[in-house]
Amino acid sequence: MESSQPSMAPHAGFDIEQVREKARKDLLYLLEGVRGKKNLVIEKNLAGPLGVIVKASTLRDYGVDNFFFLENKNTDTSQRNVVFIVRGESARHAHAIADQIKRLQHASQFSYEFHVFWVPRRTLLSDKVLEEAGVLGDVNIAELPLYFFPLEKDILSLELDDSFRDLYLAKDPTPIFLLARALMGIQQKHGLFPRIIGKGDMAKRVADLLARMRQELLAGEDASETDKIGLSPSNTMESVIIIDREVDFVTPLLTQLTYEGLIDEVFGIQNNQTDVDSTIVGAPPQPAVAQGTAPAAASASAGQTRKRKIQLDSSDKLFDRLRDTNFAIVGSQLNKIARRLQSDYETRHTSKTTAELKDFVQKLPGYQAEQQSLKIHTGLTEEILKYTRTEQFNKLLEVQQNLAAGADPSSQFEAIEELIARDTPLPQVLRLLCIYSCISGGIKTKELDHFRRLILQGYGYQHLLTLHNLEKLQMFLSRSSPLASMIPMTGAAGAAGTKTNYTYLRKQLRLIVDEVNEHEPNDIAYVYSGYAPLSIRLVQCVLQKQYLLSITRGNGVSGASAPAGGGAQGWRGFDDAVKHARGSTFDEVQKGEDKAVKARALLSGGGDKKTVFVVFVGGISFTEIAALRFIAKKEEDRRNIVICTTSMISGNVMMDAAIEKEGFGKEAPAAPGPGPDR
Amino acid sequence: MEVAHPTAGWEQLGERFYRKIQLYTQIFNQDLDLDSFLVAGAQYGGAIALYRDENKLVAYRPAKEKKPSIDIYSCAGKLIRSISWDKGPIKGLGWSEDEKLLVVTADGTVRCYYDLQGDFTQFSLGNGADEAGVKSCKFYDHGLVALLSNNALVSVSSYDEPRPKLLAPPPEGDVHSWNLIPPAYTLSRSVEVLLSIGQTVYVSDATECEDRFLDIGPFTHIAVSPNGKFAALYTATGSAHVITSDFQNRLSEYDSKSKILPKYFEWCGNDAVVIAWEDEVHLVGPAGSLTRFYYDNGRVHLVPDFDGVRVIANDTCDFLQKVPDVIEEVFRLGTDSAASILLDAVEQLEMQSPKADDNIQLIRSHLVDAVDTCVNAAGHEFNIHWQKRLLNAASFGKSVLDIYNSDDFVDMCETLRVLNAVRFYEVGLPLSYEQYQRLSPSGLIARLLNRHEYLLALRIAGYLRLPTDKIYVHWASTKVRVGAEDDDAICRKVVEKLSGKPGISFEAIARAAYDEGRGRLATELLNHEPRAGRQVPLLLSMEEDEVALDKAIESGDTDLVYFVLHQLKRKLPLASFFRVINTRPTATALVEASARLRDSDGQEDTALLKDLYYQDDRRLDGAAVFVREALRQPDSRTAVDKLTLAAKLLTDNAKENVFELTALKEAATLLRMQEAFDRDLTDSFSGLSVNQTMFKLIRLGYHGRAKKIQSEFKVPEKVAWWIRLQALVAKRDWNEIEEVSRVRKSPIGWEPFFNQTLLAGNLRLAALFIPKCTGLEPGQAITMYEKCNMRVKAAEEAVRIKDAESWSKLLDAAGRNTQEGREIERLGQAVFKK
Repeated sequence: MESSQPSMAPHAGFDIEQVREKARKDLLYLLEGVRGKKNLVIEKNLAGPLGVIVKASTLRDYGVDNFFFLENKNTDTSQRNVVFIVRGESARHAHAIADQIKRLQHASQFSYEFHVFWVPRRTLLSDKVLEEAGVLGDVNIAELPLYFFPLEKDILSLELDDSFRDLYLAKDPTPIFLLARALMGIQQKHGLFPRIIGKGDMAKRVADLLARMRQELLAGEDASETDKIGLSPSNTMESVIIIDREVDFVTPLLTQLTYEGLIDEVFGIQNNQTDVDSTIVGAPPQPAVAQGTAPAAASASAGQTRKRKIQLDSSDKLFDRLRDTNFAIVGSQLNKIARRLQSDYETRHTSKTTAELKDFVQKLPGYQAEQQSLKIHTGLTEEILKYTRTEQFNKLLEVQQNLAAGADPSSQFEAIEELIARDTPLPQVLRLLCIYSCISGGIKTKELDHFRRLILQGYGYQHLLTLHNLEKLQMFLSRSSPLASMIPMTGAAGAAGTKTNYTYLRKQLRLIVDEVNEHEPNDIAYVYSGYAPLSIRLVQCVLQKQYLLSITRGNGVSGASAPAGGGAQGWRGFDDAVKHARGSTFDEVQKGEDKAVKARALLSGGGDKKTVFVVFVGGISFTEIAALRFIAKKEEDRRNIVICTTSMISGNVMMDAAIEKEGFGKEAPAAPGPGPDR
Repeated sequence: MEVAHPTAGWEQLGERFYRKIQLYTQIFNQDLDLDSFLVAGAQYGGAIALYRDENKLVAYRPAKEKKPSIDIYSCAGKLIRSISWDKGPIKGLGWSEDEKLLVVTADGTVRCYYDLQGDFTQFSLGNGADEAGVKSCKFYDHGLVALLSNNALVSVSSYDEPRPKLLAPPPEGDVHSWNLIPPAYTLSRSVEVLLSIGQTVYVSDATECEDRFLDIGPFTHIAVSPNGKFAALYTATGSAHVITSDFQNRLSEYDSKSKILPKYFEWCGNDAVVIAWEDEVHLVGPAGSLTRFYYDNGRVHLVPDFDGVRVIANDTCDFLQKVPDVIEEVFRLGTDSAASILLDAVEQLEMQSPKADDNIQLIRSHLVDAVDTCVNAAGHEFNIHWQKRLLNAASFGKSVLDIYNSDDFVDMCETLRVLNAVRFYEVGLPLSYEQYQRLSPSGLIARLLNRHEYLLALRIAGYLRLPTDKIYVHWASTKVRVGAEDDDAICRKVVEKLSGKPGISFEAIARAAYDEGRGRLATELLNHEPRAGRQVPLLLSMEEDEVALDKAIESGDTDLVYFVLHQLKRKLPLASFFRVINTRPTATALVEASARLRDSDGQEDTALLKDLYYQDDRRLDGAAVFVREALRQPDSRTAVDKLTLAAKLLTDNAKENVFELTALKEAATLLRMQEAFDRDLTDSFSGLSVNQTMFKLIRLGYHGRAKKIQSEFKVPEKVAWWIRLQALVAKRDWNEIEEVSRVRKSPIGWEPFFNQTLLAGNLRLAALFIPKCTGLEPGQAITMYEKCNMRVKAAEEAVRIKDAESWSKLLDAAGRNTQEGREIERLGQAVFKK
């Protein structure tokens, strides 16, 4: 197989397809190296992401006979070649591999060929574990450098499902390191980000690691001269903006209201797929239409009978049009589309000539696909509507919006109490309480104890652990808690930067926009029907200074106002506001040797649109993506926006990190409610 | 000085010419009896290893007796290193492509001498080699195959990570001779071994052993051509057969008519086979063509290379190869190629003869080719005089051309300078142009480093614009290893020389110092290493544990941190391990994280966590471990025990932890009460929360017990009311609900009662609650009655608040002619009819 040669041809801009293509090639190349048929053993969490890169059918073309999940421990003896594709960062997986190898060797006298492809890298730790288990000598080891998985043409995700828990609860910085590595990979290919702007302590860690890795690369003896030249500022990329999730916990805790966001809230989305009961969306069409992309699909189909996997990405044109709109208008949109399809279809009666008929027949497959997709999305929408019409949902939403808008939290007590008494799903209740705590900078001890008692009595004493976790996450805690000592009192502008001060920022960055138009959105606030996500406002502080100034100063002039922030870069103009968000603030310029910069400028021509990378450490929600896409649309003449993240996230995922799963007694209480069970 | 014409050493073999180039003379001491030595040479003009063959008798010469050793020489006979050897008989002596010397002993121990200086790594062939014993070995680029005396074949395909594996076993019987096809040239991508057993040849690879069904064996020699396409077999009767290596085609045959067993039977390039006896070398070409060479001065050894064979004798080192095409094109007698005419033109020019111009005119149309040919021929020519002449010709030729890209010419001049420099006898690397191309410039530098030719390596790297970092690092590593100066002086010297140079790995130098036992020097050097991560493994081996941990954390690479922690945990007593980590939050976090998910089942390491939290005085976290344990208990009694233990941890700071302590106590109480319910009510309650327990009790009709729970756990009145309402609705206990409605006041108001009963479908009962609801918005009661299908009541309400519009709507809905309608009309008449 050809290795891609470092060409001196003009650097085209950043293209996510290249990432996908490279990942695909890397994987297939390694598979090809294992001669003959093979059994594939995949780590569960990796099956979905791999499905984003390569289809199961392709893997079969490359000799894969059976798929197994590492966690199921059921790898059988049907093939001599056994290939493990597993993440290398955790000793647990290495232990699991060693166990299986030993089990297989024990089970038959067959001489096996074991291969391990470590994703994204081989680690000392895993080597050590395999060595101590006495199997290192029996394994052929390779690296499969899959860092970013291209979820969409504008989204790169490490797809580290546990990254939120790891970073903020366990304080395990592995995702930060992998993120820095992944970004470094982009820099090595496309040149340095000319500017690194960011907010939050973890974001700063990423920036520091990038600087360190750059130094180490320069110092590295294996770097050839060309690599070093490659480390001059890019002129196809404008900057990278790194935002730490910790800066804004509230946004993802709020119930998402875009179409894709609500699908995530109600059914859960993973690796661009959601599992939905087939009674809702109908059975899959007879010839399995490209749904079985993930290797997981093969093994999953056997287990769950009534679930159907729905692919949610831009290959579904209908979904692509609807995903980022506010759910309020999805129903009418679907109606419109249904009518159009109907009238298109009717043309078959009016087509007179054979040419017209032929034309119609040619369009038929596309029409059928659209029909199919319409059916799915109508089904999903109806199911979501059932949920959004419940009293419970509306109560939750009302409390959330009141809290976000700055209502006196104590006015919301009764509603919260009632929700608990009525056995509202725990994640939903906890999200409310966390929003309350985050926005108010902690809760009075007396109130806190009251709520904690309600939770324990309502949902079980095992949630003592849950509450303990939430306190560690600094998401639900007393103002007098030792962990909250750094939190400034509400409204006080004094100790800035240790805790996000929503009260101050609500005004400064105009987080609440009352006159929001869901049909023709004029501000990112449309995604939450009136609340503009703080995390994305921060991005606007860098990318849309004029717009933001215009709406915060209230001068009413939008767009073509005076070049107030014309040449300003980084955080300039909003330094003060940004100081009131949690964690460190930074804005660094990466320079290279003048000669190299000039050479690069010559080679690439420049002048075209440049790419901005918006990086979320700790996860981004679908709703935030919708808001970013809204900005990207406005900015499309000037720049491209590519979103990078450690994983996708939602309030439920955040709560899931904290909630204790086990209960007392033999039978665990069934988790009720529509909350997706992740 | 008259220089011999290049064709002087040419011999015709079939249609092609072969040439013998004398590379060096006076190789070995005349006393050295080559006949009694095993000789192995590395590819690409690499080093030659000599080891005295134990099977040969030698005259006992007391004065000369010395300890056995493996002596490494350059091709020019310069002793590079003598490695003393005390590991017993050697069964395999060979080289890897990157000039690592491999020595295999009878018991299957493999030593890999990686730097020509006696430093080695060692591994064992395993697979029963120690019992069966190694019989012989064959080597290829990066691997080897060993034949054991039980005919088992052990293959090693990498020396960096040796994984000895058994190949498919050949049948029993004497192996007369054997050889291998490197994996790069086989279809199976596995190494394939050819073995002569009985009359036939077996081919064994990783999976199967196949008989090739020959009947002309046994074969005393098997040789495989450098490109893996052909094999040559030499029978005991003295005839050689050339076949394709897949045994499909016979190509040629040759009868040596010799009764004596040849010492060597090798390929010379891909077109000819060399057979060597003591002092006679036969070169056999296609169709049985033959050339003989004689060496008067005793025994010769052959070192096969990619494009030819080196012949080593005491007094000479010759290179035997097919004359390269370009050389033949220029020099072959009677040639009229453009290049030869160009060469002649330069000669004429030097003699100031007008024929020079005639020549040019003659080949005008082919001049570009002629120049190219001369440039290439210069590369293949060993003799400097002829190199110059060819380059001169090329230079003259291109001066006549209007446009000529001189890049190749310049490159060749540079290449030749490098080649001539390393061919110099004191360096002793007789690289042919083709070998140099395969070895690559950086490969050449690596070889020079192995020979400690630092200056030359630097000059060449500078000349060819290659990175020099590795050279400096190698130099410095050697310096700290053999330098006699004290630590400070060496450190100063090294840093002085290397500071400011990019890409210097101080870690590698420090490691060399440490391996040499100069710990302090190592520490000092390590401080200059810019990559924190790189320092970690060395620091660990230097027992600088805490520094290693700090550097690992600094690098941000959690794998390194985990690695250090893993090592430390094994090494240190638990208490000291905790002391090391508890001042380092990242380390502690990682220890916690991995303890939480320790084994493949995700079972946590509770013992470690408890100790850690105890030592760190993190009471709450410690208690959490016990609570988690409680959750895993199969019955309530043991669960309560665990909860008690958790509480015990917190009692010291009872004031701070009052909430947790109460909760733990309550949890235990609940478990006990539930246990009692389970027993008394023959239903399952354990595992439910307080609210769920109440709900279930009410639903089952045990109101008293539910009350007891409420008071025991001080469930707020509002919550209790909600639970009661929901449970009663779920039970469809309308009587009870109606009973409740008689109470004067509800802490949650009466609307929930209305809503819940309505939702459950009891409209009558729902309506009962409407008048009890207070604080309704105006007109709300109307819709509430409507929902209960009570239009009359609704109309009453409308009348009461004088809402004419609702009233008339109700009237329309009911229809004027129904009884309901008339009733509604009657109600409104008084108020609304003007």
